[in-house]
Parts: sequence; C-alpha cells; structure tokens
Amino acid sequence: MRRTLIAATVAALAVAVAACAPSTPGSGTGTTSNSGAADRLTIGTTADVVNYNPLVGNSRTDSWITNLMYPKLMQMDEAGKRIPYLATEWAYGKGGKTATLKLRDDMKWSDGKPVTAADVVYTIETVDKEKFGVVAGLITAFDKAKAVSPTEIEFTLTRPDGTFLDNIGFWMPIVPKHVFEKAPSVQKFANDSGWVSAGPYKLTKVERGQRYLMERVESFTPKPSVKEIVFRVFPDVNTEVLALRNGEVDVIGNVLPPATAATLKSDAKIKLQQIPSLGWAHLQYNTKRKPLDDVRVRQALAHAVDNEAIRKIALQGFAKSSNGSVLTPSQPGYADSTSKEYGFDPAKAKALLAEAGVTSPTFSMVYDQADPNIAKWAPMVRDSAKQAGITIKLQGLERNTYLAKTLKRDFDIYAGSWAVMDNPPANLGLAFKSGGFINYAQVEDPQLDKLIDKGQRALTPEAAKAPIQEAARIIHDKVYDNVLYVETFNIAHSAKWTNFKPMPSELLSIINPLSLAQVKPAG
Amino acid sequence: MTLTAAEPTPRRRTWEAFRRNPLGTGSAAVLILLILVAVCAPLIAPFPEGYGTDTSQPPSGAHWFGTDDIGQDVFAQVVWGTRVSIMVGVSASILAIVIGLLVGVAAAYFRRLDTPLGVLIDLSLSLPVLPLMILVAALAGPSVRTLVVVIALFSWPEVARVVRSQALAIVPLPYVSAARVVGGSATWIIRKHLFPGVIPVVGVSVVLTTSRAVLAEAGLSFLGLGDPNSWSWGAILHKAQMSGSLASAWWTTLFPSFAILLLVVATTLLSVAYNDARNHRTR
Repeated sequence: MRRTLIAATVAALAVAVAACAPSTPGSGTGTTSNSGAADRLTIGTTADVVNYNPLVGNSRTDSWITNLMYPKLMQMDEAGKRIPYLATEWAYGKGGKTATLKLRDDMKWSDGKPVTAADVVYTIETVDKEKFGVVAGLITAFDKAKAVSPTEIEFTLTRPDGTFLDNIGFWMPIVPKHVFEKAPSVQKFANDSGWVSAGPYKLTKVERGQRYLMERVESFTPKPSVKEIVFRVFPDVNTEVLALRNGEVDVIGNVLPPATAATLKSDAKIKLQQIPSLGWAHLQYNTKRKPLDDVRVRQALAHAVDNEAIRKIALQGFAKSSNGSVLTPSQPGYADSTSKEYGFDPAKAKALLAEAGVTSPTFSMVYDQADPNIAKWAPMVRDSAKQAGITIKLQGLERNTYLAKTLKRDFDIYAGSWAVMDNPPANLGLAFKSGGFINYAQVEDPQLDKLIDKGQRALTPEAAKAPIQEAARIIHDKVYDNVLYVETFNIAHSAKWTNFKPMPSELLSIINPLSLAQVKPAG
Repeated sequence: MTLTAAEPTPRRRTWEAFRRNPLGTGSAAVLILLILVAVCAPLIAPFPEGYGTDTSQPPSGAHWFGTDDIGQDVFAQVVWGTRVSIMVGVSASILAIVIGLLVGVAAAYFRRLDTPLGVLIDLSLSLPVLPLMILVAALAGPSVRTLVVVIALFSWPEVARVVRSQALAIVPLPYVSAARVVGGSATWIIRKHLFPGVIPVVGVSVVLTTSRAVLAEAGLSFLGLGDPNSWSWGAILHKAQMSGSLASAWWTTLFPSFAILLLVVATTLLSVAYNDARNHRTR
C-alpha cells in the first residue's frame, strides 16, 4: 500500500509541476514602485555568475556583471559600429603593421588608482602569453604592446590586420594590473572577492542562487542615475515574466522567447525593447560527408527549407531575412543587397537531387535541444524536407553532448546559431577558412581562403568590403552556410524606466554599462 | 471427467471479487480506453507535423485541445503521445520485469547467489535514479529505444526484490524439495514450480512498473531527453515549457498532464483493486 501511495503522490506531483510554473524564489522586491526615486533597478537572470574573472568567464550573467566592473576599450552603437568607451581614438600606422590607442584619463579603479595604458598593455600581454579565452584566438597578429604615455598605447603587429583594433576593442575587458599580476596564473585566477573594478557600478554583495548587489560608482562619468543595480536569479524565463508582471523585477536580462514576447506586447506596464542580433541562425552541411560533398545536394537541402515559415511561425515574425548571406543586415557596412535566399521549392530540390544521382537520402541533424528557438524550428526543417523526398532524423541533444559532437564534426547537418559575429573579416576567417576554429562545415576552398585573407589585411571596412562580399557570395553559392534568419531580440523592462541605450546582441542589449549608467525612472 | 461448478477456482474467486469493485473495473475501463487510443491513433487524428498559421489558439471546435506555438493541434499530439508514452511504459516495464524476475528467482533458488544478488538489488535500489537516468539518456542520445532501456535498467530492482521475497517463501515448500529429489533440473523446477508461484505478484508489478515507467518517460522527455522524432506526453510538456507559453497557453500543459494523471491513477487503483481481490482477508 505504501508503494501505491508513493506512486499516487508522484503522479500528483508530476502533474502539479507540469501544469504550473515554479514559484518565485526569495522575496526581495524592486523599490521603484512608489517613491519614484531611482534607488534600485532589479534585473532578472536565469544563471549565477560562474566566473568573476572577466578574461575567462563567458556565460551571459558573467558578462553582464563583469561588463559593469571591467571596462572594454570600445562599445558598439546600434548599427554595430565601434564607439569610444575607455579608448577615445584609435588608428593604424605603417601600412597596418602598428596600431595606436588613446585612452580617457578620468577613469579610476575602485581602490583609487587610475586606469592607465599599463593596464591595457598588461591585459593583452597576459592573454597573449597564457593563450586563453575568446581574445587569444582573435589576436594572432599581435606582436608586442608599449605604453607610450599613461594614456597612449602602441601595438606592433606581425602582419597587417585590419580586424585587430575592433577585436580587442569589443572583446577584451581591461583588468587592473596591480591586482591581477599577483596571481601566479591569470587564467586560473578566480577573482571571487575583494574586487578592484572600474565601471559605472561595483559589486558589493553576492548571495549565490539569489542575487548580486552592485552599487553606483560616484566618480564615474557620466554619473549613473540609479544608486543600486540588483541581479536576481530565477529558475527560468517563465518565472522571470511573472516577476516582471508583479513588479518584482524591472528588467529581464534574458531574451524573451518569441511566443512570450507576442503575449507581452499588449501589456501597458511592460515595454519591449527590440535588439538586433549580431549573429545568425543557420544550417551547415558537413562537406566532408557523402553525398553532402556535392554542391547540388547542398543546394537541394537549401531549397527544402521553408525559411519564410520559420521566421513567421517559429520566430513569430521577430526575425529578419539576411537574403541567404552571411553578411547580415546588422552589418550595414558589409551587407550585400544583391544576394538572394534559396527559396522553398521542393520540386527544384528534387530535380537537383536527381541531377546529383541521389535518391531519397537520409541525414541526421544535430542541435541543442535546450535552445528554445532551434528546438522549435528543427521539426519544421524535417517536415519541409520530407516534401522534397529528403528524410532528416532529428538529434536534439543535451548541450554537452551536442558541443562534443560539433567539435568532432560528427554530424550530417548542424542546426545552430552564432551569437555574436561582430566583425565579418575576422568571423568569416574563424567560420569558413580551412581549419578555422568554428568551421563546422569543414570548408576547404583555396579561393575563399584567399579572399578572406585579403579582407583581413585591409585596414578599413571600405577596403575590406569587396573581398568579403565576394567571399560571402561563394559561401552562399556553394552553400557552405545556409543562413535562415537574423533574430530580433525582445528584451522586456518595466514601463517605469526609460532612457536605456540599446546595443546589438544579447550580451550588450540594454544592460550594457553605458545603458545602465544613463537609465532613469520614467515620468 | 467433468468439472463441478460448486467450488470455484482461486482465479475465478479473484475475478469475481475484482468485478464487484467499481474502482477496479472503472480503472480497467480507463486503461483499455487509453490503449485503444494508442492503437487507433491514426484513425483518430493525423500525425502532428508541419506548421500552421493558427498559433497558440485556445480550445475550439476545430482544435479540441487548442493549438501550440507553431500551430499544431494539441489534441493530435496528445493522441499520438498516448501511443509513445504507453509503448515506452509497457516495453520498459516488460524489460524490467524480465530482468527482475530472473534476478529475483535466481537469488531465491541458488543459495550461493543470494548474497551477491541481494547486495546488487539493495545497491541498485539506493542509487539516485533520476540523475543517473538523465546522465545515461544524455550520453546515449535521444531515441525511444534509449528511453526504454534506460527506464528498464533503473526499474528492475523493485521487481527483483518483490519476486525474491515471494520466491524465498516457495523454495522450502515440500513440493519443490520433492521435485529436486526426483531429479528435476534447476531450470525445470524454476519454470514449473517457482514461476507459477511468483506470477501473481508480478501481475501487480507489471501495472505499477508501467505507470512508473510512463512517469519516468514523461520526466525525461520534459527535461528534453525524449525522442524529438516522436510525440509523447512529456515531449508536449517540454515543448510548452520551451516556448515560454506556460503561463498564457494553459491548454498546452493541461491536457497532456491530465492524460498522465489519468493513466497513473488508473493503474494505481487497478493494482490496489487486484491486490484486494486476491487477498482473502479483505474480500
């Protein structure tokens, strides 16, 4: 009888868990409701900070919090163009073999020491020496750096590289030399207490699994208008939405799933801020596997995807077409208006397969089942391919298994998305050059390699444009990448706040340092 | 030779007692209905695939259980989900029972195996089942077959324990000893004398293990470890949770949850009723 009781209890529990969203943990509330004073802004997140070392940490919560503590050299405007932050001016010299940066002189670490060129030199030299994190892969042309004055740095490069300044500007957080140099290995330095930081806010209190309290830095220019920023941890987006509706949080840091965004649109107490993605969602075909090595088969697969339906139904219209090009509309300086998407055309797909001598092929498609958008459109890709006589077996995998498979290139079709592709010459190099770190399709095309090299050597975006556009055309024509859409992110915040400064990508969105320094209560 | 109707067989007596219990017959009817839905799924609703423009519509005449966030009919999903859920439940339970039966009987009959097998059973019972299931399912990759094997691998110890204790009571009985004396082989004795003795407990186990397997399947699928190429009740819940429409589109979670509830309650009541019917004291 005991067992039957247990079974019944388990059943009741399962139903209860499934039918309603989990309750909100903790009881802290935003204090903006009645006073009107800008005392505290509460931001919801779904994960704890894993790593306080900004040079190592890379989860979203890590970035959001460390971005407020450690300045980057540059920020980005809505069109993806670099704008000053710690650096005020930058330029290349000697035909691209050197690069110079000028820093602002009014920033101080929280222990009173100024932020100087020595810190920048220390940071890049450490990353180059210990070779870790995203930045290490982006500064392959770096030779040495010299602090010419406390506010000026000169970099020497081993070859002309027009992507160097943009890369370090956007990706490399500057850390205090006098603190980090004490650690025997910066890569292993946890930096989990006694933070010395320099940003609009400093981290003062951590309650793991609950909240992260950050206080305003009075000396920061412009002086932040909100006294405290609190990051609160929630189990998932559903609970965050309930908390936002109840006024417990002011901003949801995570991107809203399209269906949720559609339902929140009509809520007068909530404002949706649309943020363009810097990445794209795509299908990649393993060009080293038969019959996917035949361009006609890849073209057939591209014609067997109903991109328009994916954008309209799975993404609820919160997605733009990129015309099938890896140069997306978020990169207006590079985008190629002549590119055309492979339209959904099962008959043409069949004809292409017949031409390639392939009949009713079967492919497996890997994706991360925890990615809500991809998990939604992956079955749509399978069902539309069926109309062209192509069988796609879905392999929605647990994240680590998925990462292991993609790393080993163990798949026929890969469905995924790039989060931030901020600099086409550099990104195309990683994703499509022979042996590139994220070259999932295993492309080996000498002509493409040459064009990307040319684009990387160009010192201005204008000079890089022609070769990069040509490279993108090859990627499109040979279906090295089948770009489906560029997502429009929805970030929700309470209508009680205004003056956010949106920046592209979910890493920056409206909780980037400049935005949180200027946000203020509405009305 | 003629049979006299005066003294009903034990089996007949159990059936009569069971039939008089409305809870038991009601549960049996619900289970038969669910099995019919599973078997006749193609006749009831088309396989849910593709996508439509009527997204997240509440229940209506056209869509009895509403539609989900890509415009698929939730009713069709639940109907086809019944098939996979029950299939996984029954297969996993059969597999678990076969393993449990063999281990349990072997432990009871072969004295020397009793200690190691007993330790193995106790050890398996004390394992943290859910995390291990998640781990194995994640590593093996998502498919219906993986689910069946994973669930069975973690469900057999319960069966083995019950079977072993029942078989331990049978082994010392005179007719087993007699069979041994006349030179019956171990397999023959187990087949002819032990199995018939433990089958009634297994009968209850089948039903309960199935319901537990269905719950386990729903749990794993809800966590995203189900087979993306087929529908199950847990998979419907998983998709609803992923779409972020838990709070707004109640119909995407209510109906599959209700189906799980129906099955689990029906199996539980059925086994209670069967146990009561078999037990002389409660009859």
